[in-house]
Amino acid sequence: MLPKKSSLAIVTFGVLILLLQLTKFARPFAPDAALDFRPRSSPVPEEPIRARSQGASFGNKIVSVPRNPTGPNLIDQRDSLKAFYQALWRTEARQPGAVTRILHYGDSPVTADSITADARALLQEHFGDAGHGFVLIAKPWAWYGHRGVDVRGSGWHIEAASQSRARDGLHGLGGVSFQGGTGASSQLVLHEDHARMEVKYLRQPGGGSLAVEADSSPIGKLETDGPEKQPAFQMFDLPVGARDIQLTVERGPVRIFGVSFEKDGPGVIYNSLGLNGGQVQMALRFFEKVQWAAELQHEQPDLVVVNYGTNESLYADYIERYYPGELRELLRRIQTAVPKASVLVMSPMDRGERNSSGQIATPATLPRLVEIQRQIAAETGCAFFNTFQAMGGEGTMARWYASQPRLVSADFMHPLPAGAKKVGVLLDQALESGFRQFKARQERLAEQPPAKGQEQ
Amino acid sequence: MLLSTPAYFTFLIAVFFAYWLVSRFRFAGLAVIVFANYFFYARWDLVYLALIPAASTCDFLIGHALATTARPLLRRALVTCSLVLNIGLIASVKYMPLLLDSYAHFTSTNARTWPWILPLGLSFYAFQSLTYTIDIYRRDAKPADSYLAYLASASFFPTTLAGPITRISTLLPQWSKRELLSAQDGGKAFFLIGLGLLKKFLIADYLAENLINRVFDLPKLYSGSEVLLGVYGYALQLYYDFSGYTDIAIGSALLLGIKLPGNFNRPYAAQNIADFWRRWHISFSNWLRDYLYFSLPGLRSRWKIFTYANLVLTMAIGGLWHGASWTFLIWGLWHGTGLAVQRWWQVLRGNPKPSAHSSVHFFKGLATFHFVLLGWIFFRAPSVAAARDIFAQIGSGTVSFANVTPGFLLVLAIAACAHYLPKNWYDGCLKLYSDSPFYAQAALMALLIVAIQYVGATGAVPFIYNRF
Repeated sequence: MLPKKSSLAIVTFGVLILLLQLTKFARPFAPDAALDFRPRSSPVPEEPIRARSQGASFGNKIVSVPRNPTGPNLIDQRDSLKAFYQALWRTEARQPGAVTRILHYGDSPVTADSITADARALLQEHFGDAGHGFVLIAKPWAWYGHRGVDVRGSGWHIEAASQSRARDGLHGLGGVSFQGGTGASSQLVLHEDHARMEVKYLRQPGGGSLAVEADSSPIGKLETDGPEKQPAFQMFDLPVGARDIQLTVERGPVRIFGVSFEKDGPGVIYNSLGLNGGQVQMALRFFEKVQWAAELQHEQPDLVVVNYGTNESLYADYIERYYPGELRELLRRIQTAVPKASVLVMSPMDRGERNSSGQIATPATLPRLVEIQRQIAAETGCAFFNTFQAMGGEGTMARWYASQPRLVSADFMHPLPAGAKKVGVLLDQALESGFRQFKARQERLAEQPPAKGQEQ
Repeated sequence: MLLSTPAYFTFLIAVFFAYWLVSRFRFAGLAVIVFANYFFYARWDLVYLALIPAASTCDFLIGHALATTARPLLRRALVTCSLVLNIGLIASVKYMPLLLDSYAHFTSTNARTWPWILPLGLSFYAFQSLTYTIDIYRRDAKPADSYLAYLASASFFPTTLAGPITRISTLLPQWSKRELLSAQDGGKAFFLIGLGLLKKFLIADYLAENLINRVFDLPKLYSGSEVLLGVYGYALQLYYDFSGYTDIAIGSALLLGIKLPGNFNRPYAAQNIADFWRRWHISFSNWLRDYLYFSLPGLRSRWKIFTYANLVLTMAIGGLWHGASWTFLIWGLWHGTGLAVQRWWQVLRGNPKPSAHSSVHFFKGLATFHFVLLGWIFFRAPSVAAARDIFAQIGSGTVSFANVTPGFLLVLAIAACAHYLPKNWYDGCLKLYSDSPFYAQAALMALLIVAIQYVGATGAVPFIYNRF
């Protein structure tokens, strides 16, 4: 016999829910799911993937975006990566001193050497290891870290271009300035042997001195006094097997921008230059133009990767009105500073937001920003890597969040190590595949007989 | 089928009507429950349709054999069979993939694929089944007189995912009574289910999605103050998540006329660590005490060290039951050591009279809460290194609340206050709801569902304890 009151309550509840659904006050339920007998590999339910609808209105400066664009992930229509591929070819051929240098500017994922560490490892595995490259001398954020170098510093006044900022805009190659009084110090522990270390610093009137030790033995001293403020660099040879590097300010003030570790080439150096909160606008406004150009020129890069976008991706109005111009200007500055280098615009990864129905969706502004990046890259003669598309396009972060093991953190933005590796591998695959195609083209050209009129 | 999904409630309502329509015939009522149990398991994976009845039948037969023989050796052999069967079930599903991976890692070979990777850990099933055979072995209970009643009890669907672990001997007699569900109990069942949903969606998931999960994923991205807030939030999230699940499970069982034991009693109001374990996951701590701690050797020894060592060992095993990882082991050892030190202190100083002074109560409660909180960091962190990062970030002393929303703070404050509400407030609300007419009960439930859809954080996120 049915319990009267409870049965009535259940029936009334069912009727009310039906009414609420019919009147659209409640979202539809799926009671038939009770009969779904598909085996579950894990207790995690499959996250419904739904992209946010295109509600935002965009201007008409740049053509509209297909929601799920397809096509190659690496676009290099004007042979923009030629300089990089040629350098890589020399490196692959093991020509003496053939070091391929890459500078990768990015935002928070790159700050922790995510993505870049995996791309570096793969490129160095295939083309040779010419050293770790650039690293800051202390952690501006707890999140900062590089795979292969442990960094610890104390006593430094740290000014990052993306946050507190140095008044004079001098932030060095990596976008962070470290001002130290007497006693400020840093310890850098390498996981592998390196041959040299270059200290990047500011020569300035009244500049102090910095003692450099390797495995507790002094290897040199740096005097930073000079007639005017200008970026300067000093190379120190590291004793064989020395891995524990100590920098100590003997007499302040000393201003350091970072250090760079190199091995005897040939090989690849992949410099990871991430800043928390990094954006195109930040680089444009707060990297002092002349000094940054000098820093870039000193590095003699073969490839500069510009990988911003995550922090801008939610501002529809800014993206429409200012972003194209600012990105164009940033790329122009890089091309002017290092005209021989290839420049690659790398789009941000997908990011997710909980929408009103609780589902993780790609914000509508993100594909728009990626499309703008693609068009500006084409317009300015830069190559373009569509990270967003390569990792799966819209809804990727929802899938990554639901996957086992999880690939992205609960902010649906920062990849976990396995997710970062995926992106690093995708980037490496795109670059290496582009390189193989370049080589094949060049070899075909070399094999072609000269045209008739040119025959002697 | 998670206990918080529309699919589950559709299933529960169907079982409710089917069961009560035939409940006057005991056999038919039990058949409905057994069918529902296996339907529930099959929704996870069809392999359970073979596994669970086979394991249950073995335990049922072992129970009868134990009851009919007095030979100590044979009885010991029989209970050992049951232990091997049930612990083997947990181990094969839960620990074998990890063991194979570890073996492959250390021998640099390819990991073999373990065929028994199943979505449900079966620990709650196994623990419940063991209460049957061990109780009969200890002559604390009699075997089931009905095979069907045993099957209905051993795999009772509301307790399958995460308890409460209920002694089979307390479930069996409940199938025999033929009482109709009272209006009071029906109201209480709805109240508990509604409360469970509210705890899960409006508090636990909201807190998790809006800060806690992020902070525990990448602590270094957040300031020390945000990480600390995330850790406090996690203590509340875990409580509301698990007690929310328990409320739904108890409410579901009550709708079928079955009373399950409670699992929580305001745990963060505990005055010491032993008191905490009398209030937190009560059915699990009782199980550990009755079936593990009391079974360990040396309890009656004159060497008191055994008492302390067994406490630590029991909690360490309890920790490892949650998962084969260092973090759970550290969590278990942390609580075991806390219990052992408290016991030692009591032996040394005797049992002092509880102070009537409210400030003493407050500080003892605060200290106990923070002891538990430190343990939760290891419990939640994916690895020891991640736990270290959380401690380091809290220790960094950096202060910023850029990632903390007013909504998060509000829900956190409500959750904290609600935890300490006097019990008579809760009883008053329960009575008010149970006494209200059926349409008011239904309307309140419907209102809650709409509120969850509008205010709650997400769709169906698994309960934390489902994975254990």
